[in-house]
Amino acid sequence: MDFAGKFKVFWELFIERGGWERVLKVGLVNTLLIAVLGLLIGIVLGTLIAAVKVMPKYKLLPRILDKICTVYVGFFRGTPLVVQLLITYYVLWPLMGVTITSLNTSIIVFGLNSAAYVSEIMRGGLLSVDGGQMEAGRALGLSYGTTMLKIVIPQAIKNILPTLGNEFIALIKDTSVVSFIAAIDLTKTFTEIGNVRYEYFMPYLAMAVFYIILVFLISCGVKAMERSLRKSDRSH
Amino acid sequence: MIEVIDLCKSFGNLQVLNNITETIHEGEKVVVIGPSGSGKSTFLRCLNCMEDPTSGSIIFEGEDLADMKVDINKHRQNIGMVFQQFNLFNNKTVLENITLAPVHLKKMTPEEAKEKGMELLRRVGLEDKADVYPSTLSGGQKQRAAIVRALAMNPKVILFDEPTSALDPEMVGEVLDVMKQLAAEGMTMVVVTHEMGFAREVADRILFMDGGQIAEQGTPEEVFGNPQHPRTKEFLSKVL
Ligand SMILES: Nc1ncnc2c1ncn2[C@@H]1O[C@H](COP(=O)(O)OP(=O)(O)OP(=O)(O)O)[C@@H](O)[C@H]1O
Ligand SMILES: [Mg+2]
Repeated sequence: MDFAGKFKVFWELFIERGGWERVLKVGLVNTLLIAVLGLLIGIVLGTLIAAVKVMPKYKLLPRILDKICTVYVGFFRGTPLVVQLLITYYVLWPLMGVTITSLNTSIIVFGLNSAAYVSEIMRGGLLSVDGGQMEAGRALGLSYGTTMLKIVIPQAIKNILPTLGNEFIALIKDTSVVSFIAAIDLTKTFTEIGNVRYEYFMPYLAMAVFYIILVFLISCGVKAMERSLRKSDRSH
Repeated sequence: MIEVIDLCKSFGNLQVLNNITETIHEGEKVVVIGPSGSGKSTFLRCLNCMEDPTSGSIIFEGEDLADMKVDINKHRQNIGMVFQQFNLFNNKTVLENITLAPVHLKKMTPEEAKEKGMELLRRVGLEDKADVYPSTLSGGQKQRAAIVRALAMNPKVILFDEPTSALDPEMVGEVLDVMKQLAAEGMTMVVVTHEMGFAREVADRILFMDGGQIAEQGTPEEVFGNPQHPRTKEFLSKVL
């Protein structure tokens, strides 16, 4: 194999002709956009689902909501992410008669998908908060919702921040499938470089290294956050 | 102030409270004693419907709190509660713990609540702890802060469930002192406790609970000095 030749071609396309710029400014940005916004949607929706899951179930409404949430989580955990992307982009939107860009579709689907996973993480987080916190809020005359929002959920989020960091890393890696609906992420921008000369060896090798570095950096961030949380736990 | 009528409470098949009728009068200090598992906590927690009564009524300010249609949150604003485990909000500073409910429930403006909170903290000797988080406090400090949190709502009555049982012995006194001060100021109080000295000194009335019923009641002199019920005698011989 002509490594030197392959490298020369890649160098020319990636550095001299500015391929890196598209990788960073479009690929990386979109990958981060999908993962970050997806996680944010996931946290908001996932928290709602988790709140329903831990609600006392004496009344009918919580029981119905609980069933809906169970079906929701079951669907998103039980089907491949690629299938969810394809169905949404090529089936659901046309049926609804809406046009939504592939990037926005990716953000929405990643958000809905991660909500299913975050809800399980968050449920654990909510259950990890001592029941006395809710009791104290209720005894003061605060409603269930207010106590949840102001007291229980903030403590739950603090407890699960490291796990959410790992969910973020998982999302970053999963974004590599959005080219199935023609969204342009990191993976796609490297494929494009390969497409110029039908020469994929170096672009994909570089891509793998890029992902490893990206995930490594984010893990370092998550670990640093974990450390500072542990420290703040000790100091108070 | 609080009228309990035919109160029964069961957890599944276990009947914990058995037809209790009792009235807590305004300004009265009622101390509830009794063996473990006799239903003291459950009785106290039924008074503000932290446990929903299985049957019976809790009449407070002319409304039956046991009625599911009553706005329980509104009434709980007037019934303070202090817990064995303090239950201060871990994610809030001491002062935020105190001001959160009065401000959120629109009882006070943030400034009023802060002022009132600081004044109350001064009274219990915690003004320098206003801006720290609860986890930095000792048990006794936590409980004093928790009492202040309840007081900040200007409740008409405060319920205490073994407020000193989770404390190291050297901290019990500082919490009891705050409670005695409250009692002297005329607060209506219902206190479940094993501190017989406190009961003797502060109580207007002692309720001795056994097997989900109030087996005997009377002034401290009556109950401690001349107990009538054999179970009371047995209990007191163990704790005194
Ligand atoms: N949430 C609950 N579910 C089931 N059983 C309960 C519950 N709370 C209390 N019980 C039971 O009710 C009985 C009375 O409990 P309660 O806590 O009122 O007793 P207590 O007099 O406060 O005892 P202690 O002095 O140990 O605090 C006990 O047998 C207890 O196991
Ligand atoms: Mg108890």
